[in-house]
Amino acid sequence: MLNRLTTNTRIFFEGAYYSYKALFRWLRPATYLASEVFAPLTMMIFFVYIGAYASGSNSASFYVIGNSLIFAASSGIFGVTMSVGGERWSGTLPYLFGSPANRWAMFVGRAVMHVLNGMLGVFIGLGWGILLFKLDLSHTDPLALLLTILITTFSTSGLGLLMGCLSLITRNVMLVNNTVYFLLLVFSGANIPVGDLPRWMQVISQGLPLTRGVACARTIIDGGSLADVLPLLQVEFLIGVILTILGYFLFKIFEIEAKRMGTLDIF
Amino acid sequence: MDAITVNHLRRLYKSTDGIIKRTTKEVVAVEDVSFEIRQGELFGLLGPNGAGKTTSVKMLTTLLIPSGGSATILGLDVVKDANKVRPRIGFIFGGERGLYWRLSGLDNLRYFASLYYVDEATSKKRIPELLEIVGLKGREREKVEGYSRGMRQRLHIARALLHDPEVLFLDEPTMGLDPVGARELRTTVKNLQSANKTILLTTHYMFEADALCQRIAVINKGKIVALDTPEKLKENVQDLSVVEVELYGIPQEVIERIKALDFVVEVSIENRDQRQVMQVHTPKGPEAIPVLVEHLNGLRIGRIITREPTLEDAYVRLVGGAEQ
Amino acid sequence: MKRIGLNLRIMARAFEIELRQNMTDGFVLFGILIQPLIVAFMALWMLKGKGPDYAIFVVIGSGMTGLWTTLLFNGGNSITGERWTGTLEPLVASPASLRVVIYGKVLANVTQSLLSMIGSYFLISFAMGYPLTLTYPGLFFLSLVISVFSLVSFGLILASFFILIPDFARMVNTLEFPVYILCGFLFPIALLPGWTTPLSYLLSPYWAALALHGAAQGTLEPLQIVGTWGIMAFFSLVYILASGRLYRVILRKARRDATLDIVGN
Repeated sequence: MLNRLTTNTRIFFEGAYYSYKALFRWLRPATYLASEVFAPLTMMIFFVYIGAYASGSNSASFYVIGNSLIFAASSGIFGVTMSVGGERWSGTLPYLFGSPANRWAMFVGRAVMHVLNGMLGVFIGLGWGILLFKLDLSHTDPLALLLTILITTFSTSGLGLLMGCLSLITRNVMLVNNTVYFLLLVFSGANIPVGDLPRWMQVISQGLPLTRGVACARTIIDGGSLADVLPLLQVEFLIGVILTILGYFLFKIFEIEAKRMGTLDIF
Repeated sequence: MDAITVNHLRRLYKSTDGIIKRTTKEVVAVEDVSFEIRQGELFGLLGPNGAGKTTSVKMLTTLLIPSGGSATILGLDVVKDANKVRPRIGFIFGGERGLYWRLSGLDNLRYFASLYYVDEATSKKRIPELLEIVGLKGREREKVEGYSRGMRQRLHIARALLHDPEVLFLDEPTMGLDPVGARELRTTVKNLQSANKTILLTTHYMFEADALCQRIAVINKGKIVALDTPEKLKENVQDLSVVEVELYGIPQEVIERIKALDFVVEVSIENRDQRQVMQVHTPKGPEAIPVLVEHLNGLRIGRIITREPTLEDAYVRLVGGAEQ
Repeated sequence: MKRIGLNLRIMARAFEIELRQNMTDGFVLFGILIQPLIVAFMALWMLKGKGPDYAIFVVIGSGMTGLWTTLLFNGGNSITGERWTGTLEPLVASPASLRVVIYGKVLANVTQSLLSMIGSYFLISFAMGYPLTLTYPGLFFLSLVISVFSLVSFGLILASFFILIPDFARMVNTLEFPVYILCGFLFPIALLPGWTTPLSYLLSPYWAALALHGAAQGTLEPLQIVGTWGIMAFFSLVYILASGRLYRVILRKARRDATLDIVGN
């Protein structure tokens, strides 16, 4: 029993380590800074200025917080999808399916590094906000904020896992990914208040990860307490759990289907 | 007049290693290569993988600048007059890259026809002819991604011939083809030569060079080690015979020990399924067998035969048996 | 004269080939069509308070973001992409000028991305019912044509950077939004700190956006619009002249360093 636990733990960490290493192997420090620190900043500036132009007033903190959390989504969706979908491109999928390794450990292991990277991204975004847009964190409960960021990154990574599974059957995974990512930009309330959207769109917003996370972060930075946002956070967490489980079962189904149909290598 | 002259051609590569700390080292791909090819000749450049064949061809086709030496094609320098050389040569590199897979074979050909300034009327006439020659007629409207390896290879050939070049470079044209496809391709090459084109063919198959080429240059480790007609190359090994010993696993140190014997000129190992065939080149002929068997003591031995040397053996001797 | 005709034919073929390849590439279609539509939708919502007249501003501005993204990713990759498919070698070895081929390819990408501007025009006017009127339609369309050519000329230079600067492709993500910001696509550059203004003036997409917004909303006098054409023409000329030298340098460098193909030897 204990032996089995250690094995699975090992599979978990190996999965995490290798998927992350494979993904960022081509990155060098300067490139990392450019794509993970500078690029998100420029996107934030763009939306902050559109916002400023729209309202004529200084509403920067609304966009700074929204776009910071978008970085979590970006890491969750792209990072996780790539580390699952990467199997297909590198042709290692048959070996993976053929191995007796615990799928659960392997699968979630892949997501973990991206959760951490996504959280780092949120901190960087908020940091830029403090430096450039006078974001005020003096009324913020740091622990509540940390928890919000953790849960939001987790829930968007869940979406990433699900997309990663889809990437095993579709050819145009980047297309699907980008569409989902940009739709999150629209629906999550990061740049457009959810209340401003038409009714039918608000319904979709409520079903997606990130929406509640963004709302919680805004409340907490505004001086709200953990108790104020706890109900929302619980639902955000639940969405993450549901997406992760869905992703896992989808992966299982594909595996069984692929083995039955003998289509492993045409993946 | 010579169609191609190559004078002490040399090419180095810089290769970088490491992710954080990059180290650069120089690798010699072509050390010293010289030869001349007559107009209308089918000339073979034969050598094992990594001998410098492709690098040589890329220098001659203006795609690489030589690190040293010079070369001319139809009297034009491949570096200084690259722009004048290009319209007069055609080339194919073995393998499947270099085509637009998401387009049809016909689209690929039409595109390259315009890149070679072939006018509309000529290309309308020429493309169907070429499709006929390379046996792709009827399949030209399908996407290249659906083609077999052999079809892609033949499409490469058609593309190389669009502008009716005087000189053709065929770099490992049969690489990766099945035996039937390879034979068909060799027939195509033979036909091209009868159309009076100068052809430089590279290959690592001896029999292919033997069957097609009028003269063969054997290249090994970036240097030409022999250059002659196939017949003359064979004469080099006439004084020897080959003893073939079937084995089921032979340790490297035993091979080394046999190589060191004074009557052994060359040893090569060929893998066939479960078995290995050791080929020993020796002037002693059948008399060598008892000594060999003594050295193979303890190993499982199959059939042993003695035979006359072939061109393949000449090649093996030139490039060193290890490459098999 | 005959040479020009032949080069135009090469350009047209490169244009056609690129177009047909893009049509089957989902990722490219996303950049060209879907992303600008989503940006348009967001900007429309964000700028709602400015009144219905701003819809045309959004159509043009988001269309420009699509144009730039396409130019940056597809146009910029137009040489390196050939390198990946192994077709750069046959291209370079052909007597055709690589610049002419690349010009045709970039033109195809930019033209295709205009579709997104048309797409958001229809989406916003028919589906969402906003009034979309052009103050100077004639000047607008001429501005569009001139903008396209000035952007394509810039793409010619961009494509060479991918070869010249090894890390450029990896850094390219970071260039997407700065140009959105500096070129006043969706908000006036007057909102930005003063020191950035000279940077904007150096970017031809800024002048393109200025001309298009100005002609659509009537915020520029016709003479001022013609002035932006002059500036764009000047930039195009500089780019095209520079590209002649740049392409000679990169091709020589690639043949020396053996980087025309990704697989060595």
